[in-house]
Amino acid sequence: MEGYLDARQISKTFGRERVLNDCSLQLAKSSTLSVLGRSGSGKTTLLKIIAGLETADSGTITLDGTSLYRVPPHQRGVVYLYQEALLFPHLNVFENVAFGLRIRKVPEPELRERVDRMLGELRIQDQARKSPNHLSGGQRQRVAFGRALIINPRVLLLDEPFGALDARTRGEMQEFYRRIAAEFRITSVFVTHDLKEALLMGDRLAVMEGGSLTHYASREAFVADARTGVAAEVSFWQHLQLKNHE
Amino acid sequence: MKPRLGSALLFLLALFPFAFLLLLSVSQRWVYPDLLPAGWSLRPWGDALGRGDDLGVALLTSLLIALTVGAVGTLLGFATARRLSLLPRGRRWLRLAYLPYVFAPVLLAACLQFYFLRLGLSGRVAGVLLAQLFIVYPYAVILASSFYTSRLRDMEDLAGTLGATPVEVARTVSWYLLRGPLAIVFFQSFLISWFEYGLTLLIGVGKVATLPLKVFQFVNEANIFYAAMAASLLVVPPVLLLWINKRLLFVTR
Repeated sequence: MEGYLDARQISKTFGRERVLNDCSLQLAKSSTLSVLGRSGSGKTTLLKIIAGLETADSGTITLDGTSLYRVPPHQRGVVYLYQEALLFPHLNVFENVAFGLRIRKVPEPELRERVDRMLGELRIQDQARKSPNHLSGGQRQRVAFGRALIINPRVLLLDEPFGALDARTRGEMQEFYRRIAAEFRITSVFVTHDLKEALLMGDRLAVMEGGSLTHYASREAFVADARTGVAAEVSFWQHLQLKNHE
Repeated sequence: MKPRLGSALLFLLALFPFAFLLLLSVSQRWVYPDLLPAGWSLRPWGDALGRGDDLGVALLTSLLIALTVGAVGTLLGFATARRLSLLPRGRRWLRLAYLPYVFAPVLLAACLQFYFLRLGLSGRVAGVLLAQLFIVYPYAVILASSFYTSRLRDMEDLAGTLGATPVEVARTVSWYLLRGPLAIVFFQSFLISWFEYGLTLLIGVGKVATLPLKVFQFVNEANIFYAAMAASLLVVPPVLLLWINKRLLFVTR
């Protein structure tokens, strides 16, 4: 099976440590693949290789049938979003969102119209002139999404984007992401170490463990595999419920 | 009122050495126990700067060397720090930058002297420039490395995935984030070069006269008025740079 994004047998070694071990990944257009994995399991390295920020020792990556071999990051149309929003501190919210359009030399009237519309979609139009330092964590992440989405990326790579947020804001942002993913028909790989987040965000699910990636054909298959931790989680809550009844 | 008085006193205390140097440089015949000099004259300043005298040449030589060493050291320092930040064992390589500081600069100069003589660089401005870079460059690498954080690298990478070429990343992101640190590293490198004495004396073999060498020469000749004038000149460029740093580079936007 060939996907819109198709990575095959990607391996990577740092020194003596094998970080990725023949990882393969297929992703259909306008869908989200959730990758669940612990810290150090190789998730970030895989995303960086897809984005072109890291080179693989072996393996191939194609996007829409075209090889990404030796294509530099700025020509891939693949945007990598970090756990931290990483807004440019010398630019205000408007200019942060406009960054990719200015690089592409979009004419000023069109640029203003597109940025204003994006700020509206993200419901942060009243923050346009603010400096990133004056925004909350959730607002910063919204701006980071706006800055990425405005250039219509072919693939969005999300490396635990809500990991630094408190539980309530995280819940709001998960809802926000699901809304914009449907609205903008985003093709994305969503990496997280949070089981519930993986289940909520992904159309398809995978687990990264010890540098190997396991795909699941269905949600049921994901739940049934002990490595995902779903069974342990269910058992914990059932046990707690029984205790309360006693 | 009291804090204002304290600040004024502190300001005067900081200003006193510079004011005293200036006073001494325009004095004539100042002998104990007189509180003030017996005469004043601006002639030494006119002689030194107006006629292209030794001191004027030393000032220009010092400026040329310090500005060049500062600029080259800063650029090489940041380029090396960036490269080291990309290497998996970059921090280990950084330890090499501490090596020149195992010796005193004079010892380093003595070690370099042989090679500089063979290359025909002894007694030449180019030789002094190169020798000073042996001290300034590793220092600039160490200092620049503290500014080249993983956060900055992530921001540069992110800008790249948003479509910016490496040149555009440097122009639109790195420059704005690094211009403050660049100014700090340049300023520090300039100062090291500007006040350098031992290394310049040995490699310059007396033929490359810089301002610090002139100050010591006048002190050795017991010519306190000329020594004060040379020392005053020595203070002006660093103060000017400090002012430029404050006015132009650290303005809150």
